[in-house]
Amino acid sequence: MSHNLSELSGRKGLTDNLFTRLGELAIKDGTPSVEELEKLAHEFLIGSANTYGAITFYDFLKPENRDKKIYVCNGTACLCAGSQESLIENLNHHFQADEIGHMTCLGRCHENHAFHYDGRNYSGPAVAENLEGLFSGNGINGDDKYRIKSSGTQILTSPFPGIEDYYKPLLTALERKPEVLLEEIKTSGVRGRGGAGFPLGLKLEFCRNESSDIKFIICNADEGDPGAYSDRYLLELQPHSVLFGMLTAGYVTGAKHGVLYIRAEYPDSIAICKNAIDELREKGLMGKGIGGTNFDFDVKVISAKGSYICGEETALINSIEGQRPEVRIRPPYPAQQGLFNKPTIVNNVETLATLHYIISNGGAAWKAIGTSKSSGTKLICLDSFFKHPGLYEVEMGTPLKTVVDDLGGGFKRPVKALQIGGPLGGLVPVWKISDLTIDFESFAENGFLLGHASVVSIPEDFPILRFIEHLFEFAAYESCGKCFPCRLGTKRGQELAAKALESDYKIDKKLLTDLLTTLEEGSLCAHGGGIPLPIRNALQHFESELSVYLEDKL
Amino acid sequence: MSATDITSKQFDQKAAGTTATNGSPTQMAFVDGQSFPMQEGETILSFLRRYQGEDFIPTLCDAPNLKPFGSCRVCSVEVAQEANGPKKTVASCHAPISAGMHIYPHSESVKELRKNIIELVLTDHPLDCLTCEVNGNCELQDVAARVGIREVRYPAGANHLDREKDLSHPYMTSDLSKCINCYRCVRACDEVQGEFVLSMAGRGFDAYIIKGTDQTFMESDCVSCGACAQACPTSAISDIYQSKSITTTETTRTICTYCGVGCNLDVSTSNGDVVSIRAPYDAEVNEGHTCLKGRYAFKFYNHPERLTSPMIKRNGHFEEVSWDEVYDYMAERFLQYKAGFGPDSIAGISSSRCTNEENYLMQKFIRAVIGTNNIDGCARVCHSPTALGMQRTFGTGAATNSIADLQYADCAMIIGANPTDAHPVTGARFKQFAIDSSKVTIVIDPRRTEIARYADYHLALRPGTNVAVLNMMMYYIIREGLADEEFIAARTEGFDEYKSELLGIDIDQMEAVSGVDRDLVRRAAIAYATAPNAMSFHGLGVTEHFQGTFAVMQIADLALLTGNIGRPGVGVNPLRGQNNVQGSADMGVQPHQGAGYLDVTDATINSKYSEFYGVQVPKEIGYKIPEMFDAALAGKLKAIWIIGEDVVQTDPNTQKVIRALEATDFVVVQELFMTETAKYADVILPGASFLEKSGTFTNGERRVQAVRQVIEPLPGTKPDGQIIIDMMNRMGYAQPDYTPDGMLTEISQIVPFFAGIKWEELGINGKQWPVHPDGTDTKILHQTEFKRGRGKFEFHAFEESQELLDHARDYPYILTTNRELEHYNCGTMTRRTDNEKILSSDYLMIHPDDAAKHSINEGDMVCIESARGKVDVNARITDEVNPGILSTTFHFPDIMVNMITSDIHDSEALCPEYKVVAVRIRKSKGKFKAQQAL
Repeated sequence: MSHNLSELSGRKGLTDNLFTRLGELAIKDGTPSVEELEKLAHEFLIGSANTYGAITFYDFLKPENRDKKIYVCNGTACLCAGSQESLIENLNHHFQADEIGHMTCLGRCHENHAFHYDGRNYSGPAVAENLEGLFSGNGINGDDKYRIKSSGTQILTSPFPGIEDYYKPLLTALERKPEVLLEEIKTSGVRGRGGAGFPLGLKLEFCRNESSDIKFIICNADEGDPGAYSDRYLLELQPHSVLFGMLTAGYVTGAKHGVLYIRAEYPDSIAICKNAIDELREKGLMGKGIGGTNFDFDVKVISAKGSYICGEETALINSIEGQRPEVRIRPPYPAQQGLFNKPTIVNNVETLATLHYIISNGGAAWKAIGTSKSSGTKLICLDSFFKHPGLYEVEMGTPLKTVVDDLGGGFKRPVKALQIGGPLGGLVPVWKISDLTIDFESFAENGFLLGHASVVSIPEDFPILRFIEHLFEFAAYESCGKCFPCRLGTKRGQELAAKALESDYKIDKKLLTDLLTTLEEGSLCAHGGGIPLPIRNALQHFESELSVYLEDKL
Repeated sequence: MSATDITSKQFDQKAAGTTATNGSPTQMAFVDGQSFPMQEGETILSFLRRYQGEDFIPTLCDAPNLKPFGSCRVCSVEVAQEANGPKKTVASCHAPISAGMHIYPHSESVKELRKNIIELVLTDHPLDCLTCEVNGNCELQDVAARVGIREVRYPAGANHLDREKDLSHPYMTSDLSKCINCYRCVRACDEVQGEFVLSMAGRGFDAYIIKGTDQTFMESDCVSCGACAQACPTSAISDIYQSKSITTTETTRTICTYCGVGCNLDVSTSNGDVVSIRAPYDAEVNEGHTCLKGRYAFKFYNHPERLTSPMIKRNGHFEEVSWDEVYDYMAERFLQYKAGFGPDSIAGISSSRCTNEENYLMQKFIRAVIGTNNIDGCARVCHSPTALGMQRTFGTGAATNSIADLQYADCAMIIGANPTDAHPVTGARFKQFAIDSSKVTIVIDPRRTEIARYADYHLALRPGTNVAVLNMMMYYIIREGLADEEFIAARTEGFDEYKSELLGIDIDQMEAVSGVDRDLVRRAAIAYATAPNAMSFHGLGVTEHFQGTFAVMQIADLALLTGNIGRPGVGVNPLRGQNNVQGSADMGVQPHQGAGYLDVTDATINSKYSEFYGVQVPKEIGYKIPEMFDAALAGKLKAIWIIGEDVVQTDPNTQKVIRALEATDFVVVQELFMTETAKYADVILPGASFLEKSGTFTNGERRVQAVRQVIEPLPGTKPDGQIIIDMMNRMGYAQPDYTPDGMLTEISQIVPFFAGIKWEELGINGKQWPVHPDGTDTKILHQTEFKRGRGKFEFHAFEESQELLDHARDYPYILTTNRELEHYNCGTMTRRTDNEKILSSDYLMIHPDDAAKHSINEGDMVCIESARGKVDVNARITDEVNPGILSTTFHFPDIMVNMITSDIHDSEALCPEYKVVAVRIRKSKGKFKAQQAL
């Protein structure tokens, strides 16, 4: 990250946004031309190394993306479901091999066989087996359907009552002082749903206390964890919950500018949110003087360009600035010095979506739901191994067994472990399911991580070492490359696993644990620091399966 | 803390190297249980280094002049919030320390972590240390040895060992197979040079360093400053001199010979040859940075074309002679002219390339041995209006503050200067300043210079209208009620009269002549006036004009008007051109003031000088350089001794200069090379380069720094000071042999502001004059009062240059002159280095509209014609100049742009007006041969 580049990009800020401009240059050929990058660099005074360096980072901007026609989802759920190979085989009849790219992940984990074609996403065996129909334009629109259910207090999945009714609490809130609202949020005890579980109220307070004319609220809608489609659900079916949250956060912190940074893998989310924002502007609920008050707030939707690390808040900030999305050191924290070096709040979709309930019903009402340390409800996504795949809202503290058996209806075929909370989440063997409840503490105490609580099932016949290799491969592919442990360690981890799978090579146990410790203790961010968790879970819970690949070297 | 909160007291504390404690009780942190005082906001690494030494914690991505980055993680330590509390591992380079923190810098787990990280690094690094250029001076090698790597346990995997070397550039090299992705080069290019040529491409394991859009160094926009090569911990980025290798036998710290920034250089030698130059991090002036001239353009020193013998021209040919013979010959001729035509028939031009001591000696020779005040130097053609103008307003003709004061400034106004080319290290600092959105940068320049592109306000005035624009600025400041009445009342005089005259200017007319929108001027003026601390900087774009001195005075008035004088982060700061142009004037190289700026016409001063030199010295003001040429053409000047200045190539109106030299009976030229001027000499004396002598240079901040001899003078040459001393003795004036300490002692006895300067006390960062008898120096001038008492307001209205009044009708374009980064002045030295491979000719900047009007394409030869003559130059089409304006350089003798410059001079200081030449242009068929015309 470069302080100077933040300043220079900040001169044009969000109005003539560098990252948006980079994205526009790629529309024609899938990647910007060198001449255009040089011109843009000259215009922004930043040197062509920076525009070129930035676009080579992203899956959908880099030169290798030129002329890609179709992208296959290679997320964990599609991998475990085994749908990728057959899909690619079918696609090979229609495309050259180098026209087929990949995306991670399209959030169609409930039915798999997912791919992205011509700006739309498709999934499910029916479409995958009828590609001729799709390409001949038979009207397949790609929309998917999944079960949406709530098991306790219904908050995030409540039916949308229409804009007027939904935004009434905002107008009431604008009559109250920001510090009063902040107290409500602090009272609610709501914690970030992105993985770290940081109390939202505290974060907003830090930002509020910074003196700056310009502050930003960023909604991180680029959490690309395979298995999770709760963000997609909120963005597409409850977009106002997210926008309401951003408006509230803006009012509380004194920010006037919002950025909704949405994954390119979710094209519908982008379109739906843009429409929702336009609607709000028309109704005077976004823009200048909201609801007749002197509160100004507007949201710009920025389309991400394919990089998992952009789900990390500082990488995300660099991305919006048009810099390479490499992780920044902390401090300074974004709340002090974030986007364009200004105080910035970065929160994920589900976290912001909680604010409507808290503002409408008071912090105490939210606090009363769930457990003492993990308040409120939580969205959970179940993949296609469940008899009832879909999105469920449960109260914090709900037993995992209830989710798996009662809501999910159990498994269609034998499963040996669940990865919960994305690729950096823990690997829960099925025999530990009954030990866990859905809350931060229960997972942490048992050596796992709640994360955003998405569930990916690993079938009985899927080798755990192969799963470990996949995790390392994913981590290496998505590593920003800034810190030494993650850049080198994830790659070497992948190589160790692959070599043991492919030959009679035995992995030195000491070397592997040294590698995991180096990643955990040495990495700059949670990407490199988090990947050892599921691998340690695997080493502990699947020791006998793995033992043939390991040895104690002296 | 914002810049405005920094008081002078803190400035002094910082300058004195002490620490501000903010009055709060000292808080402690613990290292392995032992407590030490900590500073709020510092990193754990800086805390540990203070008490345990610089090398206590191994690091790879950290560098002294770069911000913390946190990529290598080798500096990790364990910390706990209380003794025996739960520990966690943090990277000490960016983790802040907190009160009561317990640090375990070398715990077993940390040692393991460091070892494991380095093991990973070595899985993708060639293991060929013994044949690597940085063997023995590689930070990776050092850290690997320190953490105790014995083996790499990982099986062979993917690597980047087959990356190709980049040997495209005359200086810069890269071998990215050696790269460890620490980003130090990228950050140096960004945070130090502000060039943004380097970045990373790709991501993760395959991320790699790129130059531009993945080009070679030569194809990229690299400015060859070498900051990346110096920053690189391995040999991934290096230079052709392999500057990081430790095969040298000795390193000498000296001062750069090029511009007035005064960069400190560490020059490495091996067997008497210079092998490489690095920039020391502890130099206050350049803090580990320098430019391609300072770092790489040193090969001129033993170039085959160096003059290595004294020569006398006989029958039109130079004949090599002995020193004895040439001294006798010169002494005889000088005595002959002195006896026959009086001492005023002889003149000397001293060199700003030479040391203070040498300049002192030359003026002493002219005054005490010859007996005339006909001594002048190149300051005449650059900053003489600065010295004169600032003397008139403040009493002292030198920079009031230091470049490092930028850290306390909120606004910088850069007028008539192109620092990124002409003062690259200062230019780089300006760029950092201009990028910072909390600061305001105002550029007043006809050209859209690089710094103008980054500025908040660019007033692209028509050349020659500085006075108009500056008056407009002050008009608006007064109109807006932004004048600092308190300061004006307490510290200045003449304001009321000044104000009434100023408010009488015709804004419509000033807007029309300058071509700058009045609202833009107004907004810039308000920005300058409302900034808590505003600094101004100016260059030759201010001085080399008919109204040069007046423009300098307006800049000084602007500072008076807004109270921006006498504290950190403010002031009036000329960017002095040559390495020692400040010093040469300080030493008395000017016809009206002797050593220490004392008035030669004053009887008391005359007797002081006469007593000190032991001979009666003259009282009449001598010739300024242009007057010397006039005197020569009038037959009054018979002999001239010119040291280190190529007046034929660099002074305006070349043909006139040549005629003047031809009209002078006896021309002595002391030089390194056979310059255009040397060709007209009767005697040539081979001087020595900066590498071959000791003494002092005074930079643009009044900083007197030690120049230390690095190598012996080339056989046949002599240090310039010794040559002058030899001649003094030969002509009967006893002067001891040249030693830097002996000379400085003599100077300190006559130059008041050198009173406390001692050679052995200069240290590594020199001293800023005035240096008081007790040795304390002065960072900021005019803190409580001006040298002349009160600051003096003096109004001068804009006046059009005679050049345009006479010729604008027939010659409708205005040609101005500029500098390019790669070359220094007329290129005598830089053209004899590989800088010539980077830029090998002068060119003409022309606006696309004008080019189209004359059907001129990029690279076409353009004939530029003025009332004096014509030259042909290649066109470069650019919107860096406005329509109607052209600009070119005079680094190369093939073009001789001064064939067409005028002999209009600044009305006060007689500095030539290089910056406004009325010309017409046409596309040229063939190249007009300047050389043939000579």
